[in-house]
Amino acid sequence: GRQFSVSGDDVNNNKKTINLVSALARCTLIRSVVELWGAGPTIDDCVQSIQSGNALKIHQEGKHLGSDAIKYEDRNWKITVHTLGSTYTREEHNDMRSKFSFLDFPGRVQMKDPDDEYLFIREVELDAQGGAVYPRHSGVNREIIPENDARPPLACYFGRVLGNSSLGRNWRGSNRIEKYSLKKRAYLGPTSMDAELSLIMTNLAQIQRGSFAFDPFVGTGSILLTAALRGAYAFGTDIDLRVLRGKSQNENIVSNFKQYGLPPPELVRSDNAIYHRHFRNHLPLFDAIVTDPPYGIRAGARKSGPRKDGDVRPILDEHRYDHVAQTRPYAVSDVMADLLNVAASTLKMGGRLVYVIPSMLDFDEADDLPRHACLRLVSVCYQPLQTELGRRTVTMEKIKDYDEKKRSFYSENTWANGAESAEKVANIRDRLLDIAKKKPGYEEKAAIRKQKRKATKEAKKKAKREAAAERVDGTIKYHNVTQQQSC
Amino acid sequence: MGTPPAVDSPPPPKIMRLLTHNFLKSNVRGTEEGYPLNIEVTTLRIEESPVDREFLLNLLPKVNYPALRSAVRQLAPHCDPPLPEIPDELDASDAEGNENLDDAVVANLHRALFDVYLVEGWLVCPDTGRKFPVKDCIPNMILHEDEI
Repeated sequence: GRQFSVSGDDVNNNKKTINLVSALARCTLIRSVVELWGAGPTIDDCVQSIQSGNALKIHQEGKHLGSDAIKYEDRNWKITVHTLGSTYTREEHNDMRSKFSFLDFPGRVQMKDPDDEYLFIREVELDAQGGAVYPRHSGVNREIIPENDARPPLACYFGRVLGNSSLGRNWRGSNRIEKYSLKKRAYLGPTSMDAELSLIMTNLAQIQRGSFAFDPFVGTGSILLTAALRGAYAFGTDIDLRVLRGKSQNENIVSNFKQYGLPPPELVRSDNAIYHRHFRNHLPLFDAIVTDPPYGIRAGARKSGPRKDGDVRPILDEHRYDHVAQTRPYAVSDVMADLLNVAASTLKMGGRLVYVIPSMLDFDEADDLPRHACLRLVSVCYQPLQTELGRRTVTMEKIKDYDEKKRSFYSENTWANGAESAEKVANIRDRLLDIAKKKPGYEEKAAIRKQKRKATKEAKKKAKREAAAERVDGTIKYHNVTQQQSC
Repeated sequence: MGTPPAVDSPPPPKIMRLLTHNFLKSNVRGTEEGYPLNIEVTTLRIEESPVDREFLLNLLPKVNYPALRSAVRQLAPHCDPPLPEIPDELDASDAEGNENLDDAVVANLHRALFDVYLVEGWLVCPDTGRKFPVKDCIPNMILHEDEI
């Protein structure tokens, strides 16, 4: 029967077959699904492996393609060559292709959307950063390093492509997440999550059409937007009213959603530290919670409460609605403890919490991640950002009912090593600053940045003055009156 | 200062629907219950959206039905065209019973929960009278430092 279905309809419909190829519709990190025809340590071994197998024969018979497929004799084709970690010239690529000419495909070569795409991969050893251990070219003048060039590859693979992902990077390295790229968004902030990681997070959270997705630190809505792209009903909260409202009618979270033809999300200004005081006790509601909590690196975390401890002045009724609520610093250790508690109480059983946490080299996944009796750790994915700094995407699943009576117990047991683990995350900003200060040229660069900031500030003030002068052009009398009043 | 030039302003963004209202409460210091919040409407908008029966039935057991009923009653005078009727009583937690709800009832419930947008107004605590503003379509539930 039809084993290799590529229809996107198969993905979220339980009744039809879901397979690796149909799942490509929502995958970001899988580039292609390939039917392997042969493999070996060198290209010649790979060729031999194909010749001793029967993949070609099966494809020539064409039974697996279905009755309405184009006949083998007429199928056009191409061979994509991917040399992992090394660059080869077009001629060298063609030399590799010619090794497979024995396959003798009858149809024409067609570069764009052929009936059959074949993939040849030449694999070499890679280091932790994804670069070749024995690079073919020297970094400086791109000269070939003969001893490295002479090294045999790790492996060679050849196969027929069953499907290519449309969301991730293609074999030539261009990232087709372009459609969702942050560069295209009308409303952005310094903390907006890049599209690639958002797509991955929403997959880890298993968000699908009809999922109820929640982001308690919604910010500019970048993660929530991705959840909505996957078909979720989106709900976001944040304590920062300015970021929720956006910059203008056309530059806010809702306009971003509109940009992608999505229904608007539900947004509430509230404080996740006191979630249970804003929202009534409700039966577990959310299928997924996906978020990038505030760690105080690029944006400080705040919660409601008086700026300083001590006497709080009661606010008179007539001032109530103009009053700007005071907020106080929200320690990272509490941010995470509260997040896990909210997740444990509001997620459906089996629902997932996916969050991002920055970490430096001394972070120990076994001991330093926050924990909760109702949540089990599903996975941790590490992404290096700088030499000293990386971020981890953590996935947790609700496995136990939340017991309100145990709230304090849950909070107290969030950090296995107590304050020490929490500190590792909380101190990142200071530690990064320390590292930066020790680098040569720091003082000069800091001075330049200060100059730039001053210049921008002056330019803004000037523009404001000029704009104000323009507006009152023609009604100078009124302008003078206001001038007097403000003196 | 002269009057600003007339500009076609885009319609205000649509947010704050009754589904959200169903979960919000007031918990200023001293409040026992603070739920459900009363709604004072300044600006309201209705926009139809496609009914997702499965999603709604999945959600119904979590909804506090009496709160939804009273919210609909409070909004009804402001709705033009008028909101379709939802049942006076419904055991929302009865998942099996909900499966048997006919499409018309489901459509009316959908309309009430998802299609009515409180653009501007107030959510009022039933116990203390504290009003939480809904402005620019986002309810501002932040408690002031003297309410914590």
